Amino acid sequence: MKNIKIFLSVALAVISTVAFAQPEISPERKQAIDSLALEKVKDLGKYISIIGNKETPFSEANRVIERALELFAPGSQMGVSSLNRKEIKYYGIREYLQRLMALNYDRVNIEWFNVQYISDLVRQPDGRYVGVITIYQRFVGESDDGLKYVDTTKKDITVYVERKQTQIHGRLIGFWDVLLGDIRVTETKPG
Amino acid sequence: MRNFHHLTIFIFIAFASVGIFSCKSQKKLAAEQAAAAEARKIAKAKADLEELLSDNSGLSLDEKEQRLKTIKDMNIQDDEVQQLIVKVEEKLKRERDALAAKERAERLAREREEQLRREGGPKGLGDYFNLIANSPNLATANRYIDEALGLFASDDVPVLIIISKSGGTVDYDRPTTIRKYLEYLKDQKINRNKIENVIYDANGKITELELIKK
Repeated sequence: MKNIKIFLSVALAVISTVAFAQPEISPERKQAIDSLALEKVKDLGKYISIIGNKETPFSEANRVIERALELFAPGSQMGVSSLNRKEIKYYGIREYLQRLMALNYDRVNIEWFNVQYISDLVRQPDGRYVGVITIYQRFVGESDDGLKYVDTTKKDITVYVERKQTQIHGRLIGFWDVLLGDIRVTETKPG
Repeated sequence: MRNFHHLTIFIFIAFASVGIFSCKSQKKLAAEQAAAAEARKIAKAKADLEELLSDNSGLSLDEKEQRLKTIKDMNIQDDEVQQLIVKVEEKLKRERDALAAKERAERLAREREEQLRREGGPKGLGDYFNLIANSPNLATANRYIDEALGLFASDDVPVLIIISKSGGTVDYDRPTTIRKYLEYLKDQKINRNKIENVIYDANGKITELELIKK
């Protein structure tokens, strides 16, 4: 009886492994996915810069907010820090972007730099790839009355990459869907 | 002696009868074989014609037309085969017309791009991508977007972006639409992709666009 139980356990483990095993992708394909995810993060940096810029027309900023939202997984949050307070506040992405658009400065300049992986995309048991990309954000807000706020924030962005399929003109197209998750503040410095 | 004569006549009649019956059975056999061959020919013709109708033949239009001609040349006198021939003829005519329309549309599109080039204006889709990405201001970018959209059947024409081609596998980014893609170029101010494939409709408008990472 004991032998039968051991046999069944081993058989179940083998079946589970076979059922969930997915083919490894080649290094070339993996590199393409790595680059794609990095590109999406850079795209977000540009969108944030446009939304925050006071010279961007209202309708245009709203359109860009919608484009930026398409980059995120549902329910993702953005961490916001300030040199003037200790705690980090977290907002849903739409609320964060709308608050960014409405910031009480006359001029806002936001720039993302040093965008790189701190944790490579690694395949999870469910087939998704998950990694973490870090960015530095330099924020400059100026008012006509001479008020100026400048900080540089280091942020970690969780990135999910998932294989999906869609129909285009009756053809089934397989694609890699990159979705950004929570963005956490890890460091905030003046200047 | 008389008996011998009778026996000879009897034997002669018997052999003659066997010969007649043997000849008849050979003719019957030949007729049966011919009928079987005709039935096989009809069955093969039907199968070929049904395959031509089904779109599963994997043949080019020229090859399909050649196959139909071969069947017609057999001059098979069978109602079902004749009806199938009519159906296949109609189908191949539709395919020939569609192919001609597609070729005409592609020629028109090429001529239009050539004309734009000669006139010194924007030189085509690839040029629009660069112009939009490098526009000095929003108004200029929006003007180029409107012009570029004129090349497409609608704002929602799908755009596929190939991120890698490796070992016979093509990997795409999430599909987008042409309007979103042109606005993406305006927002990001960089043209990272080049044109890989363009599909036109009968009016020379683009109905699908495939790009590839530079």
